Amino acid sequence: MSPWHKDRNRPQARPRRSLRARLGKAIALLAILGWSLGPIVVLVLASLRPAREIFDAGAGWTFSPTLESYRTLIAQWPDFFSGLRNSLIVTVLATLLAVITSALAGYAHSRHRGRAMTASAFGLVLLRLIPPIVVTLPLFPIVNALRLKDTHVILILLYATFFVSLGTMVMRTFIDQIPVEIDEAALMDGASHLQLIVRILFPLAVQGMIAVAVFVIVFAWNEFLFAFIFTTRAAKTAPLVLAEMTGAVDGVDWGVLFAAVTLHLLPVLAFVMLAQRQLVEGLTAGATKG
Amino acid sequence: MQPAPPTAARPMGSPLLGPRSAGLLITPVWLLVLSLSVIPACYVFWLSLNDSTFGQSPRFVGIDNYRTVLSDAYFWRALLNTLIVVAVVVHVEMLIGLGMALLFADGIPVKPVMLAIVLAPYAVSEVGAVVIWRFLLDPEVGSITRALLALGLPPIEWGVIPWHGLLVIALISIWLHLPFTFVILYAARLALPADVYEAARVDGASAWQQFRRITLPLLKPAIAVAMLFRYIFAFRLFSEVWLVTQGGPARSTEVVALYLYVEAFRYNRFGVATATGWIMVIVSALVAALYLRRTYRTMFASPA
Repeated sequence: MSPWHKDRNRPQARPRRSLRARLGKAIALLAILGWSLGPIVVLVLASLRPAREIFDAGAGWTFSPTLESYRTLIAQWPDFFSGLRNSLIVTVLATLLAVITSALAGYAHSRHRGRAMTASAFGLVLLRLIPPIVVTLPLFPIVNALRLKDTHVILILLYATFFVSLGTMVMRTFIDQIPVEIDEAALMDGASHLQLIVRILFPLAVQGMIAVAVFVIVFAWNEFLFAFIFTTRAAKTAPLVLAEMTGAVDGVDWGVLFAAVTLHLLPVLAFVMLAQRQLVEGLTAGATKG
Repeated sequence: MQPAPPTAARPMGSPLLGPRSAGLLITPVWLLVLSLSVIPACYVFWLSLNDSTFGQSPRFVGIDNYRTVLSDAYFWRALLNTLIVVAVVVHVEMLIGLGMALLFADGIPVKPVMLAIVLAPYAVSEVGAVVIWRFLLDPEVGSITRALLALGLPPIEWGVIPWHGLLVIALISIWLHLPFTFVILYAARLALPADVYEAARVDGASAWQQFRRITLPLLKPAIAVAMLFRYIFAFRLFSEVWLVTQGGPARSTEVVALYLYVEAFRYNRFGVATATGWIMVIVSALVAALYLRRTYRTMFASPA
């Protein structure tokens, strides 16, 4: 759907570039490389350094990599690993909830056009104007009263809620591209709407579902504010434990912190790289369609 | 919701999916947003007109809370900080993002790899980014600090000098969100028709003329949308500030969301916090007003 990986615009016969133009481009590319990847490389390398060398200004560029910081992390911060577990549970369930509800609503918005559905679509656009921190105020006492504080449930519901608006629009864009004839044929053969959606449309719109999933996964895995306000111990997610580790700045063991940040980052980084195309298509669909 | 005549040029769907089924399918999404977003937000509005703290019954006070907020010097400080950071972040992102989009569209070696690299910061958490940049800017051993000193420049003292703190917050924010701005602009640039450029080249237009006369005007809608989204989201800035300065020293680097948090959860001034919350909603709506009007018109003009 997007010309992302195709160079449609490349002219057939490129005019010869001057050496200076090519040099300028090379420098710009190096700058982009350093800006985007540099900080991440510095982090990962620092996590592999012997702990006492990290803050030794005299230590050179070379060092023999060690897993010392990772071993200390495992020994001293069991909290971080339970944080990772909580993050995983919350992320997986919030993603499932958001993707399924968005796909159903996206299908409805794609196949039924009327004033009510237009109003619904516009309402979902308006919704994005509500800052998350605003809803924490009234939810805080209610969540306490319902005994949902410090549970996975409240985070799962909140994370899904703040992405179903974008998710519905993205799914509608993807389902719009599936010909209606497919619906007609399936319904003619006696399939119910639910069968049609689950058996036929979902498999065809799987790219869209991956796009929505990427958004929710990256958001839920990294989210700080809701977790900060609504969890304290049992359901504490990994970013919160990381913040705790940084909070103790004077006594902070930077090597261990780098190891923890690296472990938290790598899975979602790998995922973003793999789902690059869907991420881009989803962003484009979400930003241009309301 | 009139069923379309069967001979029409297929008005999508109507005969396939009745209003009742459609309503049923959007119910889960609306249940979520109503219960966790719309109703709480409306309730915040009601609370903002009342004097209340956690666990006490509210007392109606009209716009008193708004008056208190608007006469609080800390609020204005926070608002000013937010506006400065938002302006810097969004515009710098736009300039760099546009430059990168044009560079990528012009053709670069190993493009898929470069794209993956540019997207990498999107995967990083705010906490992770703060840890990384605090290390790079560490006053003793940070690589950037050492580079600044080597160039004869003063180091960035983000813990001491308020505007240095805001600068670091803006830097981290730009680093985290540049991938979003870049992707929107790059996708929009790729969607521009190639023959226009071909024609311009034939007519002997310089690279600068092509940019000024073709690229920029055609990219305007994408630039506007990307900036709007970034304005609205940057205005909610919280985590980076909380993790870098906690609003200090002496509340000098607070932003609006942080002011709200501190008023509610530290000073227990619930009325002030809820009024601040609605001020945030109103500012977002004002920023988006033109876009919303246009969206409303196109959506309701042709239900498509």
